[in-house]
Amino acid sequence: MTSRQFLLIVAIAQGTLLLALVTLIILNRWIRLRRKARVHPRRLELDAVMQAWAMGQSSPDEVLQGLGRLPLPLAIEALVTWSARVAGERWQELARALENRWWARAVRANSRSARWWKRLECARFLSVVATTHDVGRVLRLLRDRHPAVQLAAATTLERVGSPVLVTAALEQLPFLGPTVQAYYASVLKRARPAVLRHLKQLFRRLDDPRLPRIIEFAGRLDEPVLREGFTTLATHPEAEVRTQVARALGKFPHAESVAALSFLVHDDAWPVRAQATRSLGMIADQNTLPAVRDALRDPEWWVRLRAGLALIRFGAAGRNALLEAEVGAHAEARAMAGLILGLSSQALAEYAA
Amino acid sequence: MSVLIHTTDVVILVYFLVLNTFYALLLVLAIPEIWEQTRLAEDEDFQRLMQSDALPPITILVPAYNESATIEASVTAILTLEYRNFEIVVVNDGSKDDTLERLRHAFDLYEVPRTYPEAIATQPLRAVYRSRARTRLLVIDKENGGKADSLNAAINASRFPLVIAVDADTLIEPDALLRLTRPFLLGGQIAAVGGTVRVANGCTVADGRVTDARVPRAFLPGIQVVEYLRAFLFGRLGWNRLGGSLVISGAFGLFRKDYLHAIGGYDVASVVEDLDLVVRLHGYLQRRKIPYEITFIPDPVAWTEVPESLRILSRQRERWHRGLIAGMWRHKGMLFNPRYGRVGLVAMPFFTFGEMLAPLVEVLGYGITALGLTYGIVNTSFALLFLLVAWGYGMLLSLWAVVLEEASFRRYRRAGDLVRLILYAMLETFGYRQLTVWWRLRAFATVWKHTRRWGDMTRKGFSTP
Repeated sequence: MTSRQFLLIVAIAQGTLLLALVTLIILNRWIRLRRKARVHPRRLELDAVMQAWAMGQSSPDEVLQGLGRLPLPLAIEALVTWSARVAGERWQELARALENRWWARAVRANSRSARWWKRLECARFLSVVATTHDVGRVLRLLRDRHPAVQLAAATTLERVGSPVLVTAALEQLPFLGPTVQAYYASVLKRARPAVLRHLKQLFRRLDDPRLPRIIEFAGRLDEPVLREGFTTLATHPEAEVRTQVARALGKFPHAESVAALSFLVHDDAWPVRAQATRSLGMIADQNTLPAVRDALRDPEWWVRLRAGLALIRFGAAGRNALLEAEVGAHAEARAMAGLILGLSSQALAEYAA
Repeated sequence: MSVLIHTTDVVILVYFLVLNTFYALLLVLAIPEIWEQTRLAEDEDFQRLMQSDALPPITILVPAYNESATIEASVTAILTLEYRNFEIVVVNDGSKDDTLERLRHAFDLYEVPRTYPEAIATQPLRAVYRSRARTRLLVIDKENGGKADSLNAAINASRFPLVIAVDADTLIEPDALLRLTRPFLLGGQIAAVGGTVRVANGCTVADGRVTDARVPRAFLPGIQVVEYLRAFLFGRLGWNRLGGSLVISGAFGLFRKDYLHAIGGYDVASVVEDLDLVVRLHGYLQRRKIPYEITFIPDPVAWTEVPESLRILSRQRERWHRGLIAGMWRHKGMLFNPRYGRVGLVAMPFFTFGEMLAPLVEVLGYGITALGLTYGIVNTSFALLFLLVAWGYGMLLSLWAVVLEEASFRRYRRAGDLVRLILYAMLETFGYRQLTVWWRLRAFATVWKHTRRWGDMTRKGFSTP
């Protein structure tokens, strides 16, 4: 074959492909428009039925029929949307009724699918209609290799308060990135009793490298029963653990918290000192004012900033301490005091956030 | 003479084949990527995410230089984004117009002392302002130092761990931040995420939002719609599977702030700061063997106004290419260097030989073909056939970008827009492509001047309903 013949073949192939692509674009648009025209009225119909059912004016059977008439992704979408609008008990009734529908069974079976998007579909479905019978499935999805599936499955924890699922989620927690961890924390808040039980056990694993992450998560729960556990860990050899403890204790105004924070404010690691100073400001116990005032002379800028902001929370006494520092001998404390006193209340509130 | 022309012909032919094979590879790799991203985008529960406090707080950096006409609308639009926890740092880079006055008046600014250390050195700050009306807003007024310097000043002032650089003339879609944080939510070791930038010309804009996406009727911005689709929907998506792109658009990219600090922020000496930043980021993370991903996701969208005149477009393209040449030259140590993994062995060679040198090779190709025809060394019908194939391939790539758009996001709903998209994809090869080659070629002549400017562009403003 000559090079010219080769080029000719390539040119013809290209021309054919070009035509095929144009046809594909037009056909794709046409098919989608047709499908939309067919399905959209059914979705509107379902919304009307859902509305009536939510107000007690129609039976769940009508809802189930409406759902059955929709393509699967749209039916799941509708369920997700309406789950946020319908009261818990009433929604549970629908969830139970859905267990017997063939298409719902098919979706549930997808928890074992080899295709991740099918498992994701199943996880999303279960996140709004899971019952106690689904614990095994949700557990499998929680341990799925695709993060989107795990995330969707984690949402189920809000709905199914199973200790097995909570334990599985908590075991996974330290291995998750900070954002995913925060997401888990938000969904685990509802399963509080089981979570707290398990957390107390985890607090005892002092050598566990996952401990800082567990404490960070525990701190997000704002749960007073965990305070004792936090104070115990104030002397932990790991600075990251102490930092998380110092951060968490600020939410618990208690004598033991104050004692632990007064100890942590002298820590060798500046992040621990910064968090402890901040937390002392949150509690604002007048007895700790000297410690916070001293922190204003800390060698680390961030600790000084935290100290300055904390002093504001001590009211008049803290403000006086700042005014004294503003004309004091320590140059860095002077600069920080000047800076803090120059902030508007709005800016202070934003910094405190 | 004949041997020289033949040898050059063969070299160009091989270059053409290798480059286009690589483009084909990117195209193929973009398919599973867009499939996965579309599925994830469709299944995302935004309502739940909006209510959750799990998403990381973000600082939006808005450098502004002579943006008086659009600054108020842009900042207002950003302030109303659907995201729970974010702040905006607008940096007035010594504007000669009344950008600062506009901001001061619109958002009731009051001066506050600086409350953060200058982690990255910048031009002196004149003042820092907060807004009485919008507590999320911080405005910095500083001496002129260029876009990179402004971004560095904004990074210094930012409080949150993630920062996103947004051009003051860019319109971000309301849910774009929510979408942009998806890779973080999926637990990846994310260093940076880029979103799609689309052309706002011709679209209807209301309250800083694109309410009706249209493909412009005017030829020049219309062609750029296809260019942007091609660059974002298959170029960058394909790179996700090849170890990450070297470009996260400066107009819309989310970065981890600690990494930006580690590399000293944006380089004020760079012509195209976004490319330079991403290359340095790759370099830093690869050298320290830190696991990371620099990824692109297509569904978060920002809209930008593109040049409508040849003069401004030519300046923009020349500047972009000048930045590419300077960037590749500056980081030449990474080229073919196995220490930098796929970035050194795949991305850098592609951007150097496939992107940077492409206009030179293309012009050489045209020249040699003309010479060969003149001396009767190259057969006329063969040369025309070759040109047809080369152009046809360009058309196929553009059309493929339209296919990806249609199969995934379908922003342009009207049939007329679709027809225009197809037409522009077909016409781009004839004339426009050669013009861009010429503009990029000029960059080789001007690169030594080390010009650093904001890349002035006359804004027409967005059309209102």
